[in-house]
Amino acid sequence: MNKAPGADNLGDVMVVGGGISGIQAALDLATAGFKVFLVETSPTIGGKMAQLDKTFPTNDCSMCIESPKFIECDRHPNIEILTYTDVERVEGREGDFRITLVQKPRYVLADRCSGCTTCVSYCPVHVPDPFNQELSRNKAVHIYFAQAVPLVPYIDENCLYLKEGKCRICEAVCQKRAIDFDQTPERVEVRVGAVVLAPGYAPFDPGPRRDYGYGRFPNVVTSLDFERLLCATGPHEGEILRPSDGRHPHRIAWIHCVGSRQVTPGGHGYCSSVCCTYIQKQVILAKDHDAEAECTIFHNDIRSYGKDFERFYQRAEKLPGVRFVRSYVSIGRELPDSRNVTIRYAADDGVREEEFDLVVLGVGLAPPKDAPRLARLFDIELDEHGFCRTDPTNPMRTTRPGVLVSGAFQGPMDIPESVVTASGAGSLCGELLGRRRGWLARERVYPPERDVAAEEPRVGVYVCHCGANIGRVVDVPATVRYALGLPNVVHAEESLFICSTEAAQKLATSIREKGLNRVVVAACTPRTHEPLFRDTLREAGINQYFFDMANIREHCSWVHSREKEAATRKAQDIIRMSVARARRLEPLQEFRLPVDKRALVVGGGLAGMTAARSIARQGHEVWLVEREPELGGMARRIHRTLEGLDVQAYLRDVVRGVYADPRIHVLVGAEILEASGYVGSFTTRVRAGGRLTEIRHGATVIAIGAGEYRPTEYRCGTDERVLTQLELEERLAAGDPRLDGVRCVVMIQCVGCRQEDRNYCARICCGHALKNALALRRRAPAPDVYVLFRDLRSYGFREDFYREAADRHVRFVRWEPDGRPAVEAATEEGRPVLRVTVPDPVLRRRLALDADLLVLSAAVVPAATSQEISRLFKVATGPDGFFQEAHVKLRPVDFAADGVFLCGTAHYPKHISEAVSQAYGAAGRAVTLLSQDTVVASGSVCRVEERDCVACGACIRACTYGAIEFHDTPRGRKARVNAVLCKGDGLCNTKCPTGAISLLHYTDEELLSQIDAAAAEPARAT
Amino acid sequence: MARDDWETVAPFPETLAEIREANGETYRYCYQCGKCDAVCPWNRVRGFSMRRIVREASLGLTEIESEDVWRCTTCGTCPQECPRGVQQVELGVALRRVASKYDVFPAGARPARAVRASLTLEGNPLNEERARRGDWARELGVRPFEEGMEVLYFVGCYYSYDRRLRKAAAATARILQRAGVRFGILGERERCCGESVRKTGAEQLFRDLARANIKTWIDAGVQRIVVSSPHCFHTFRNEYPEFRVNFEVLHLSQFLRELLRDGRLTLSRPVPRRVAYHDPCYLGRHNGVFDEPREVLRAVPGLELLELPDARERSLCCGGGGGRIWMDTPRAERFSELRLDQARDVGAEALATACPYCITMFEDSRLTREGEGLPAVVELAEIVAEAL
Repeated sequence: MNKAPGADNLGDVMVVGGGISGIQAALDLATAGFKVFLVETSPTIGGKMAQLDKTFPTNDCSMCIESPKFIECDRHPNIEILTYTDVERVEGREGDFRITLVQKPRYVLADRCSGCTTCVSYCPVHVPDPFNQELSRNKAVHIYFAQAVPLVPYIDENCLYLKEGKCRICEAVCQKRAIDFDQTPERVEVRVGAVVLAPGYAPFDPGPRRDYGYGRFPNVVTSLDFERLLCATGPHEGEILRPSDGRHPHRIAWIHCVGSRQVTPGGHGYCSSVCCTYIQKQVILAKDHDAEAECTIFHNDIRSYGKDFERFYQRAEKLPGVRFVRSYVSIGRELPDSRNVTIRYAADDGVREEEFDLVVLGVGLAPPKDAPRLARLFDIELDEHGFCRTDPTNPMRTTRPGVLVSGAFQGPMDIPESVVTASGAGSLCGELLGRRRGWLARERVYPPERDVAAEEPRVGVYVCHCGANIGRVVDVPATVRYALGLPNVVHAEESLFICSTEAAQKLATSIREKGLNRVVVAACTPRTHEPLFRDTLREAGINQYFFDMANIREHCSWVHSREKEAATRKAQDIIRMSVARARRLEPLQEFRLPVDKRALVVGGGLAGMTAARSIARQGHEVWLVEREPELGGMARRIHRTLEGLDVQAYLRDVVRGVYADPRIHVLVGAEILEASGYVGSFTTRVRAGGRLTEIRHGATVIAIGAGEYRPTEYRCGTDERVLTQLELEERLAAGDPRLDGVRCVVMIQCVGCRQEDRNYCARICCGHALKNALALRRRAPAPDVYVLFRDLRSYGFREDFYREAADRHVRFVRWEPDGRPAVEAATEEGRPVLRVTVPDPVLRRRLALDADLLVLSAAVVPAATSQEISRLFKVATGPDGFFQEAHVKLRPVDFAADGVFLCGTAHYPKHISEAVSQAYGAAGRAVTLLSQDTVVASGSVCRVEERDCVACGACIRACTYGAIEFHDTPRGRKARVNAVLCKGDGLCNTKCPTGAISLLHYTDEELLSQIDAAAAEPARAT
Repeated sequence: MARDDWETVAPFPETLAEIREANGETYRYCYQCGKCDAVCPWNRVRGFSMRRIVREASLGLTEIESEDVWRCTTCGTCPQECPRGVQQVELGVALRRVASKYDVFPAGARPARAVRASLTLEGNPLNEERARRGDWARELGVRPFEEGMEVLYFVGCYYSYDRRLRKAAAATARILQRAGVRFGILGERERCCGESVRKTGAEQLFRDLARANIKTWIDAGVQRIVVSSPHCFHTFRNEYPEFRVNFEVLHLSQFLRELLRDGRLTLSRPVPRRVAYHDPCYLGRHNGVFDEPREVLRAVPGLELLELPDARERSLCCGGGGGRIWMDTPRAERFSELRLDQARDVGAEALATACPYCITMFEDSRLTREGEGLPAVVELAEIVAEAL
């Protein structure tokens, strides 16, 4: 609820900004025992992510993965959400800030409003809808978007009463008397110990310069406009209709780098990091909407540097009718009748002009609009690009102690990075406020659970429209009537979005009022909202396992969108099956497990050490285990970052800090022999220095780093003039005399990656190469330096260094996979050289470069011990051999296995600053766990009926989690399930010859009743 | 991409050094995005790749004898749009300086070399006699400049000598006299401003012309200079300060606007015509003067001002800059033809502009298409003078 702090205005942390980063920080901190004020200037939390249709590279529905977090925030007793609120004044210092907030008047009383939207229907004023990028209209009073938290409307300044003193219809029709035009801005002062700034970014606005005709030609839109057009909750309910005439565009162009990578006045010099991939996402989605669409992408480098980005790029590229054209473009003209727009671009054989129905501008990410004001208020510095200036060794630190930063305010970044830095900021707050942990925290209090054992099943069925996703295909009212006709169903109703706070509340109320003891929600996939609904059942006082989710979206409306009648019948069948199962559901208890407060960090490189130190500083004992004889990992071979940080000095500081902290126990030269246990109670046996140590810990952090590919191509390994970038860096740092007399250096990018057997981008090599190239050019005399690249992936602020390298006459030559560089030994005027020949696509000639030194940007590869660690700790690796996180977007440092976390290059190649961020992120997540005394494990686990068990062991062999073992009983050996390790996948059930083992919540009776219901003659509702 | 027939070349350090010495280092910023090619007016009439020229220069692979070195009109569109801030015009001039140094002129560029003699001997590129520079003003009551006069009217070569442009010079004089401006001209003491010949790589000649003009102005006590040609305007304002002088320079359109706003000039005779205004590259794009000519035209009673597509910063070059006014362009490759078509397509009766090269190019194109009903070509002063 949007509570006003009132007298209760003391907190631990204020999070400024309620986008995904702010939300994550708030949740981490609150769960870790801190009281959080989550302050957001717009009427609801959600930020830009709420406006996206889908997120790359998984193409998950953005709102579906974000909105459960809204409700988590809303229900969390330690989070107070303050929306439509700005910061007005900041006083105090680290540990004790006094912040004055101004709550803007909504003119609606939040605690009376039921979210019925009657006021919206009656309001006569239409305004451009900000959530839909002003592509559609809404009323002056409206709810920002359907899943808003809080679900309360606000009255826009265009309201007739506010402007001219007329109307007030909303007030008249509101049955709860919730409209209050007398509201004024209210000031509130709160006190907190730390601040996390997460105000996000502003999309670059092409309006002022009328870039590419934006603002002049209606069919030139921004990518965020297009995102709304794609979205089912958008201006046209998911139909891509173009602005001029509302027709489906068939030929669509995307233009890269709008507002980015340019020094032209009004633009930004940096690269906005995410546009390449979000454009590919939009292309894939556009093709989903219209299989015949012709999509053309105009670019100058494809920056697919992130995890799974390269595959995503290939996926887009392979679609029929999709063309990637390497050229920046100019708009030719608008055709007066069709209002199509032409684009002029440079092809291999000259300039071409082509006509498009719609042009989408890939706008970049600019600093948030109120960045200067926030900087003034919080007394922090901004950098030369207008983003928050951060500590080079810790991207979450601003220039002011106690004020931390997370998310895109640090610089353009994607969602996983925003989430990682949020967890990292949380960890730093934890370090700062450690002793206050838990003082202000409150526990969730649920009502006592009703015992329904004696009752007949009383089933409630809730059918969701999911906006238009389901409602447009399935006849929801008819389905509700049908459900009421099913046996044991005593209540059925429909809802627009059951996941919204208001609807979830209504659900709890109706359970109580109607005495329901089983609930079926017919909506989307359980993967999005099952935890939310289960929680709702608890709030309503019944066991959460009395819930079943009927998926009539992914399994029905989304795949049968052209067969409405058949889809409706199928939805009814699915619900009938669900109700049949619901009748048989049993109450189950979850387990509370104790949490050992110690942590194990596997890997003593920069990431591992950073995580260890942060965890230790929050009061936990940490075991840091390192395979090599000394700490430091790959950082030992790196001397400078591209930004100029002295890595060796930094490393020494970190190592010293590790040894100086008495809470950290270091084992070097170590070998892990065995790892067992489960979240909160792990046991790991390590041999180091001839001694065996058994470590008990509650959480594990995997930070084993990565390796360098040893190339054999381009004469590497056989010719001593061919080095890797790391080797070059070492020679430069050491002042190696072999570098004197070198007149020409040629670097080749993408060696050993972006190829079939290593189909990923190693992310750091372009930055690495720029760094070494600049270092070479600073020498006197400076050698000629050529960088041979495929795409120059100097993303983010690294683009500045690309330009600086050009300024210093580093020359860049692009090559394509079917025109690789060729290297041979040659002699030129008596001098032995390595002749590198490479076709130059612009010159349309082959360039022959005579090098004294050839430097290969060799790929980063998974650590040699990855598979062993994977096996020991039962954590998954991905298709490229790096470790697989639980969810690439929203759980980037968690493993699917609870209690195990991931950071550093073990996750994926990354730069030092990114590894440090992720290490703090993993530490934050680990401490969120370790700060609890207990954790909860699922009740849906397997159980053995020992009478029927014949001890064949088939179940034990089948279980990949090692959750089953034999134990001795008076009746002989029997299998027994360790409920805590059991993940509830039911594989063992399929193997058991006697049916002795069963999966609670998915018993044979429950499933068979579902199947029977499927085959039964259905009664049809009309 | 088929590459079997591609020849192999190595970067040529000597050429690179020449280009760098001629101030062409700006090539290094290029990241080959192709934007320059996409916006270049040449690509509307034939193939021409500035991107390739920059790339070749950056590796010392420039073919200095190529016609392409002389094709650029220095319109300024590509440096305006270039995301990396490459100064393509500067690079082009550097290449031409190298070509001049080695006396390498392909056929198309020979006329550009030929004008140098005329400039050196007679102070104008048109092979006219220096002594007759002020002849156009005889019998118009235009006085020689004297210290203490309000402005110097720096007429320029084409306005002084060219038959078509002399009409505009006369119109200008009439307007200034009507407004009661105390102005004078330098007559044979005036020399070519040197802007275009500098763009053809004749750096020393430019310096000589500039210094001579500057000395004349100092001796004559000049303070404020009004010019008719955007090319004079450009070089006086942006390049003459290289010699550490600071004269106040106004383009006629700016001065006319001042006179109108001050009430010194009133336009009362209606000129009921539909007129499209073309932004000259050197007035608009290079120097940001877009609004003044429009304001002046709007002050003409009865005149309906039309906008062309490709207006203001996106104005389509007439093809005369960069010395190309002296070179031959085949009919099918003239931007000026496209511009006349555009003017016709918006329904203009007249195409107005404020640059001698534009007037020349447009009139030339119009002449070759006589009878097609293309709009008339009119200079700014001419239309304003009609309204006096």
